[in-house]
Amino acid sequence: MQETDINLLVGGPQGGGIDSAANMISMAFSLAGYNIYGIREFHSNIKGRHSYIHFRIMHERPKSLKYPVDIMVALDPDTLFEHMFDVAKGSKVVYDSAFNTFNLKNARMITSDTMGRIQDELAEKNLSFDVKGVLDYFKSTGIDVIAIPFDKLINENVHDGPANRYYNTLGAGTTLALLGLDEEHADDGIKFAFKKKPKVVESNIKVIRAAYDYVEKSPLKVATLPTYPAIPRMLLTGNDATALGKLMGGLRFQTYYPITPASDESTLLESHEDMKFLQNADKIVNKAGLVVVQCEDELSAINMANGAALTGTRSATATSGPGFSLMAEGIGYAGMTEIPVVITFYQRGGPSTGLPTRNGQADLLFALNTGHGEFPKMVISSGDMEECIYDGMKSLNYAQRYQMPVIHLIDKTLANTMDLVPEIDVKKVKIVKYNENTNHENFKRYSLDTENGISPYGVFGKDIFWMTGDEHDELGHVTEDSAMRDKMMEKRMQKLVTADREIPLEDKAVLYGDENADITYVTWGSQKSLLIDTISELKKQGISANLLYLRMFEPFPAEYVAKVLKNSHLIIDVESNMTGQAAKVIRMFTGINIENFILKYNGRHMTLDEVLKSTKNIMEKKTALEVLQEGS
Amino acid sequence: MQKGVEDKGKYNFRNNITIDWCPGCGDFGIVSAVTQALSNMKMDPDDVVAVSGIGCSGKTPHYLNIAGVHTLHGRAIPYAVGVKLSNPNLNVLVMGGDGDLLSIGAGHFVGEGRRNSGVKVILYNNSVYGLTKGQAAPTLPLGEKVKSLARPNIMGKINPITLAMASGYSFVARAFSSEIKQLSYIIERAIKHEGSAVIEVLQPCPTYNDVNTLDWYRQRVYKLEDDKSWDPVVNKKEEDEEKFDTGYRKSLEWGDHIPIGIFYENNTIPSYTNRLAGIVPEYLKYPPALQEVADKDGYTIVDPIKTFSEKDVE
Ligand SMILES: Cc1ncc(C[n+]2csc(CCOP(=O)(O)OP(=O)(O)O)c2C)c(N)n1
Ligand code: SF4
Ligand SMILES: [Mg+2]
Repeated sequence: MQETDINLLVGGPQGGGIDSAANMISMAFSLAGYNIYGIREFHSNIKGRHSYIHFRIMHERPKSLKYPVDIMVALDPDTLFEHMFDVAKGSKVVYDSAFNTFNLKNARMITSDTMGRIQDELAEKNLSFDVKGVLDYFKSTGIDVIAIPFDKLINENVHDGPANRYYNTLGAGTTLALLGLDEEHADDGIKFAFKKKPKVVESNIKVIRAAYDYVEKSPLKVATLPTYPAIPRMLLTGNDATALGKLMGGLRFQTYYPITPASDESTLLESHEDMKFLQNADKIVNKAGLVVVQCEDELSAINMANGAALTGTRSATATSGPGFSLMAEGIGYAGMTEIPVVITFYQRGGPSTGLPTRNGQADLLFALNTGHGEFPKMVISSGDMEECIYDGMKSLNYAQRYQMPVIHLIDKTLANTMDLVPEIDVKKVKIVKYNENTNHENFKRYSLDTENGISPYGVFGKDIFWMTGDEHDELGHVTEDSAMRDKMMEKRMQKLVTADREIPLEDKAVLYGDENADITYVTWGSQKSLLIDTISELKKQGISANLLYLRMFEPFPAEYVAKVLKNSHLIIDVESNMTGQAAKVIRMFTGINIENFILKYNGRHMTLDEVLKSTKNIMEKKTALEVLQEGS
Repeated sequence: MQKGVEDKGKYNFRNNITIDWCPGCGDFGIVSAVTQALSNMKMDPDDVVAVSGIGCSGKTPHYLNIAGVHTLHGRAIPYAVGVKLSNPNLNVLVMGGDGDLLSIGAGHFVGEGRRNSGVKVILYNNSVYGLTKGQAAPTLPLGEKVKSLARPNIMGKINPITLAMASGYSFVARAFSSEIKQLSYIIERAIKHEGSAVIEVLQPCPTYNDVNTLDWYRQRVYKLEDDKSWDPVVNKKEEDEEKFDTGYRKSLEWGDHIPIGIFYENNTIPSYTNRLAGIVPEYLKYPPALQEVADKDGYTIVDPIKTFSEKDVE
């Protein structure tokens, strides 16, 4: 039997309930024992503009997304136009029959550039600029279009509030019915999604019934999907997973200034200032709460987090490109004065405000070169939910151990990926504390009596010492002595050597796939799981590929990377930026020059189909640079 | 008491670091007033922290025998707030120049008024940027030409008192660096006040400010408390409107007569730390700085599933 593999897109106006439609679908499938993987795409807008969720549903845990989708659910007419190119022969398009009379010129929320592209395509096929035109376009390509009489179905079945309140439920219900998920699980999904409101559950279940009834009586009915025992899992986004990891890792003070796609992490933490404790935590220890401060700006956010670290608190901030730019000076200060602080850096499309709600990986070189002067900092990156959790914990550990700023890179795609995480291992990462000071008399905060560069940490309230961003002596007072300058520079930078020595290779770089392969991909961040999927796809086609996946850029595992790449044949660098920044880092540290690139900078997530296609083009030497363009 | 100081009152809050301010600089008086206030209060040196920005003023913490952090230009307040909110048991003093606090750090100055987290801001007002050789500070009046300026000041000035009051600070005062006794008293009062305080200190800069000199100030300053009816303290919400109004108006007086003293003290505004105590469990008893984050085997104590139970699909 063919494994269930459903690729799905739900689109609608921002703020118009696609999140709840997506939530119902996700919950129904999760409770039926499936796994889901989804990415949310939206405009920098609160209400009205087009947004969508791109999903994949499988029994195995999916790791990547694909176009064309099998089913597209349009909760507004815009979706039909915006995603004209995301469906293909065999796809099903579900929409409200009320859209039939909609004219493209009334789609005011479609930006003029997108409108131009849609019109060009329709004009070329001699089709009208309206829903009829786009439906004809679909039909001529072999796509099933399914019109559902939304208002009629709702009005005949529920009488609690206006019909449009139930559009999302009907959209979700129809989708579930069309996919063949049994109705009982659809009901479970509704119950889960509206947990606390029995009355709402009741009327929404009536809508589900109406949807199933409609599909059953129509020629659209399909065979029922198998269901599986559902194990408990957590439905997390990258933002959630990182928040959870940081809290587990001992975070007790977080600062932020609102910015997409970072603030979801902080606002989630803000709603969990009263954390819950594990059973075995002893009584004295489990008295605690987290402090989250919304600051006046990012200058305040980084420097306040630095300040909190001075009392021995594990502190962090989270931001995105524009905020990170403002934080540069504060990060330099933390490097100079040896403050343990974590900056979770959610990358979005730059430069400037760029594509505020879209993906990007163009801040790697910026992170590596943050701040003026030379100071130690660590730069790490995560690529999936588990890494967000455990790297969230480790980022705080690294900061404590090496007394330096730790920049944790996460991209927007990962931040907004939804994934079901089956297990969180609370014993996977041990909590590392700073090197405690035992001599409270004449305390030398920056003692040079250290081989690894790590001096005893001072804590305000327990120790008297001084700190300054000027060059300083062992006590922390300003000095411009030339010899002391050299010693302090060397002591600080020595900590990076120590970090490189102490941190295991698997936390820095990992080779996935066979050691000897025809193709070696190089990537970092959210393309990780996508490329692991790509390798298995290629294997099915008889092509051997592996993946050199980078997790740490400072300190950089140069020796290992060089060793892997020297044994490789066709090396392809895959990144969500225009200049191949990781390839530049590799060249800088190893001298190895990667010549083939699959890059994407339109702000949308990479998909399996486009990476496979580009790989073929590179293999056939049609090109050395493939720029991916999929996504609406 | 960890410093081995049996008699708290005898602790020397001044350390032996050489002070490198110009002779005659008003900053010396501020250091004396701070150490006097701390000695007078018999402050445990572990319980007080000095946080400064950048400028001549920013060097102050190095001269005090307490933990001190000399931060970035304009950023003393965020550091101070980070210290205070992670360990509300500490008394946190902020020392910053007028350029530092009212120009590059103005956003934090205003932001802290809204927070009112309990830090005590000592604002060194010399009307110039001392350390960068005498450019106009935001406190220099329009049209005034101090000696290092190429032409008279082309910008208007900020009144630190009105700005502090409008921002929400619950303790606002002005002092003069040569009136050490009064300044030291005001610092003590500010430390005892629960919310955040701003103490503007008029401070001669003999090197770059040849207008607002020591004598210039001496001839003009007078103490608010010399008027026995002066009572700036709000203990009941109903008194606020009138006392705020009186203090605000008084602070506008400038020129031949310059009032110094406490303009406004409002004890009815809860501090940020107290507001947090209403949200974060056991915050005052176990603030972030005093928490254990690992069990005895070194593992996390946080239950991720119970904490984020809304994400649990079961
Ligand atoms: C970001 C930044 N910009 C500029 C400077 C240079 N700078 C050092 S001190 C100073 C002005 C200090 O004036 P003020 O805050 O009034 O302190 P004062 O020296 O008068 O006590 C400036 C602009 C700096 N250190 N950092
Ligand atoms: S320049 Fe002015 S403020 Fe700075 S130390 Fe000299 S006198 Fe004092
Ligand atoms: Mg000044």
